[in-house]
Amino acid sequence: MRTHRSLAMIAFFALVPVSGRAQSAANVPDITGSWERARDASIPAQGQPPLKPQYLKEYQAKLQSFREANQQGKPIADHVVMCLPDGMPGMMSGPFPLEILQSKGQVTIIEEAYTQVRRILLDREQKPIDEVEPGFYGRSVGHWDGSTLVVDTVGIKESVQYTNIPHSKDMRIKERISLGANGLLRDEITIEDASMLEKPWTFTFGYRRMQDYQLLEYICEDNREYADEKGVQQIRIEPAKK
Amino acid sequence: MLGISGAAFAHHSFAVYDHTKTVNVKGTVTKWQWSNPHAYLDIEVKEGGAVKHYILEGTSINMLQRTGWRSNMIKAGDEVKVVFSPLLNGDPAGLLLEITLANGEKKELPVPAANTFKRTPEKE
Repeated sequence: MRTHRSLAMIAFFALVPVSGRAQSAANVPDITGSWERARDASIPAQGQPPLKPQYLKEYQAKLQSFREANQQGKPIADHVVMCLPDGMPGMMSGPFPLEILQSKGQVTIIEEAYTQVRRILLDREQKPIDEVEPGFYGRSVGHWDGSTLVVDTVGIKESVQYTNIPHSKDMRIKERISLGANGLLRDEITIEDASMLEKPWTFTFGYRRMQDYQLLEYICEDNREYADEKGVQQIRIEPAKK
Repeated sequence: MLGISGAAFAHHSFAVYDHTKTVNVKGTVTKWQWSNPHAYLDIEVKEGGAVKHYILEGTSINMLQRTGWRSNMIKAGDEVKVVFSPLLNGDPAGLLLEITLANGEKKELPVPAANTFKRTPEKE
C-alpha cells in the first residue's frame, strides 16, 4: 500500500511542471478573512437540476409534497429542525458568514451556522471514492491553478442533500474559487454524478468581504422544534425550565 | 430561479405559523432562551382571570447579534409587549416578530420574509 501510494505520488508530481507550480504560488491571492454571500456575484443554476428522468420525477414529487405540507401548515421537518448542518455543497451557499483561512498545505473554510468546517488539502492526490468514508464534507483536495483554487471533493453521504437534490455515493464536487478584480470572491461549483445526473451541473456562489467581522459561535443547543412520528415539524408546548 | 428557491429551502419552514394575522399582547417574561438554532421567549399573559403561558420562537441568536441584539436586553420578570404570528393549530406558541422591551424600546426581529406576515392592528 505504501509503495503503491509513493508511486502514485511520484506520478502525480511528475505531471506538474515545477516551474508552473512555483509561478502559481506567486499568484495565490489573499482570500483569508470573513465573507458573506453576495447575490450580485452569484450565478444560480438555470432550470431544473439535470437529473435523469426517473430521479427528476422523484425529486419534483418530493418538492410538491413539501409545498402541499407547507400549505397545510404541517411542514416536513428538515435538517435544521434535526439540528444537523448543511454539509457540502450546501455550506458554501452561506446564508451565514464564511471564514477562509490559508495555511501551509491547507485552505480551511468555516461556515458560521453549525460551526461547519471543511479542510482543503493542497497539492495532495485525491483518493478513490470507495476509500473515503461518507460524511457531511467529504475529502477535499485542491491546488492553485494560477490565481484560481481548484478543488475536488468526494465522499458525501447520500442523505446530505443540497436543496433536497438526490445524489449517489459517486458524486464528485468540483470547485473553482477565484477572487475577481472587483474584490468579490466566486466559487464555481460543478456537480458530477454519472449515476444520477445526465450531465454535470454548474452554479456559482459569490461572496463579499466582511471587514472586521469575526465569526460568532454557533451550537445547535436546544431546538424546541422537533419532528413527530410522521416527520412533521412540531413545537414542544411546555413551559421552559427556569 | 432554482438557486433562489434553493436558498428558501435552506432555512427551515415557518409554515406552522398563521401568516394572515398577528397577536398583540402584554406579558411577563419567564425565560429568554439565548440559543441556536433559534432564541425562545417564554411569557405569561393574563387572560380574564387565568394566566396563559406562551412560547415564542425567535431567530438565530447570530442574526440577532448581527442586528444589535444582546442576551441581556431581556430577562425573567420583565414586562413586555409582543407581536407574534400564532401557531395555526391553536397551541399557545408563535413566531415573535416584534417586542417592546421593559424600557419602552421597540425592536423588530430579523425574521426572514417578515413582510409575508400580515399584521393585525393593535386594539387600543
